[in-house]
Amino acid sequence: MRAASLKPLARLMGRELLMTFFLLIGVSVVVFVILYLAPGDPFSVLLEGEMPTEAAREGIRQAMGVPTTWYSQYFAWLGKMLVGDFGTSIRTGMPVLPELLRVGWNTLVLTGGAMLVTLLVAVPVALYSAVRGVTLISWPLTILAYVISALPLFWLGYLVLYVAMRHFGIFPFAFASLGSEPKLIYFLLPILVLGLGSGAISEVVRHLREESSRVLDEEYVRTARAKGASVWRHAFKEGFLLPVTAIMATKVPFLIGGAIIVEQVFNWPGMGRMAWQAAQDRDYPVIMAIAIAAALLVRIGTLVQRVVYVTVNPRASQE
Amino acid sequence: MSASLLKIDNLRTYFYSRSKRAFIRSVDGVSLAINRGETLGIVGESGCGKSVTALSVMGLITATPGVITGRIDFANGTLHRNLLDGLDQSVRLSEEEGRIMDVVKDSGAWQRQSDRLQRGVRGGEIAMIFQNPKASMNPFEPVGAQIVEAVRLHTEHTGKKEAEQRALHWLERVRIDSPRLRFHNHPYGLSGGMCQRAMIAMALAAEPSLLIADEPTTGLDATIQSKIVDLLAELKAEIGITTLLISHDMGVIGRLADRVAVMYGGRVVEEGGAQQVLAGGEGNHPYTRALIASIPGAAEVRQKSYLQAIEGDVLDTINIPAGCRFYERCNRVTEAVRERCADCEPQLFDAGSGQRVRCWLFAP
Repeated sequence: MRAASLKPLARLMGRELLMTFFLLIGVSVVVFVILYLAPGDPFSVLLEGEMPTEAAREGIRQAMGVPTTWYSQYFAWLGKMLVGDFGTSIRTGMPVLPELLRVGWNTLVLTGGAMLVTLLVAVPVALYSAVRGVTLISWPLTILAYVISALPLFWLGYLVLYVAMRHFGIFPFAFASLGSEPKLIYFLLPILVLGLGSGAISEVVRHLREESSRVLDEEYVRTARAKGASVWRHAFKEGFLLPVTAIMATKVPFLIGGAIIVEQVFNWPGMGRMAWQAAQDRDYPVIMAIAIAAALLVRIGTLVQRVVYVTVNPRASQE
Repeated sequence: MSASLLKIDNLRTYFYSRSKRAFIRSVDGVSLAINRGETLGIVGESGCGKSVTALSVMGLITATPGVITGRIDFANGTLHRNLLDGLDQSVRLSEEEGRIMDVVKDSGAWQRQSDRLQRGVRGGEIAMIFQNPKASMNPFEPVGAQIVEAVRLHTEHTGKKEAEQRALHWLERVRIDSPRLRFHNHPYGLSGGMCQRAMIAMALAAEPSLLIADEPTTGLDATIQSKIVDLLAELKAEIGITTLLISHDMGVIGRLADRVAVMYGGRVVEEGGAQQVLAGGEGNHPYTRALIASIPGAAEVRQKSYLQAIEGDVLDTINIPAGCRFYERCNRVTEAVRERCADCEPQLFDAGSGQRVRCWLFAP
């Protein structure tokens, strides 16, 4: 049994990883082309606003060994990337990868925590309304969840900041207070803001409520009840696990997008802030690395969902 | 206590329709008793309240505006319980000028009380099988595991290995082919007939004292149907389990039931020994006669003649007429009784040898 169900999983992983590879190549091409076509270049950063002559530019290019055509630039980058070298930042001159891993971890904490907040709020509301139907409790809760989801993230972020500073005297900047021990609240506020404001709550509530109330009405769940077994034990896979992983997988890109805003507002040193800074500087190696990392995160979300689906669904795992 | 294992007394299961501001009276004052060891068949067209009666016994009416009153007494050994005890306390009716305007039901409290009453009874003492067996099994679990769960929940065989042995034993008992293979199969790998066998195995694996079979052959191929009926007859002879059998199929009822209750419009219209009720002659309720007359015989099928249907539709249980519920469709009304049929609902009249008929023709 076990061995039989592991084999399709391995096959799935192989296929998905191969697809991920091509997807990332595709993403890098698109991002690179957009960057190349966009106005501005790293020179203005390097020269701190001084306008060099065309001859001086060419001199710098040659001194730095920059290939002349866009595709030779791209393939030079790709060649190095494939062996794990993401190059050095034009702005700081530091290697990109260690820095990316450091801020990537921060972003992971932020988005992962936000995901948890989203689920902690949305799941009880969804399940309560699925079990009880529309009641005096579930109706306002659902409305509240929708309203919170509809708030613009930057507005919610600044509002929370304002209230925290003005009325509670806390400066919830995650890493701003140098020297002093970072307090838990500095981490919690941005995570709460992203978790509540990313718009995922209403989607989870709606999707999970529909799915779980549908499954609770399924005949096999009635059988479970009729045999005196736990209803949720039988309804869990189709009525909870599958819808939650499906909806969260589709929400990963939105969470990452939201993270950029929240990181700006709360000065959270994550990938979003790094991307923002790099985009202003036209720091090509950094932008490219972040694009790859973001695409990878989105891909991982989908992969988790696929793995759960195949593991849970007996047809998918045995055929 | 009498010999009755299950005694349903004046059961009313109503669903409140907010849009129509009225009750749908699916089961409207049903009283039935099932004696130990017998098979009681309930027949009637769809929408007569047969299944709702069974679901009320099992506490499976989960639709929020469902209101159930009456008594359902289950008595086996030291266990005596009214399965509807105290449920009415979580329902409040708001009335205006004698009309019920709204139903306020604390469904949480209702569900908790119902679950408390059903503990140890549902699944253990009373097991149920359904129509549409393929959809009734959990598609995400192997068949064997689902039977093992029933064994471990309700019998003393709680050890894993032991429970698996029992489950396998029951799969063999219901004559499923290659039981060892089926044990590990998921339901999607089984045919409808196999699934129903597995469902029967799962129900019996809990060693219940009462089996409720709700349309156990509906939706299966004709040949499979007769095999399932054979199996049920065989199990009845071997185990002698008390059964409440619900079917619209007179053939199934005829093969399995000792006593039969005919339901129409949420009420029992006739009740008695299977032979008497299924005779379908002068001694029966007009509805029973019409039901039996509508069964196509082999001769009719061969001649491709028209089937005899009962005129009209099943009673709409929202606007119930004052008179007999079958009056509109009845073709046996005589001038002598017409007025009474139209204006006044008959009670169950005694028709001798334990048979009772709800028809003015049988009034003493």
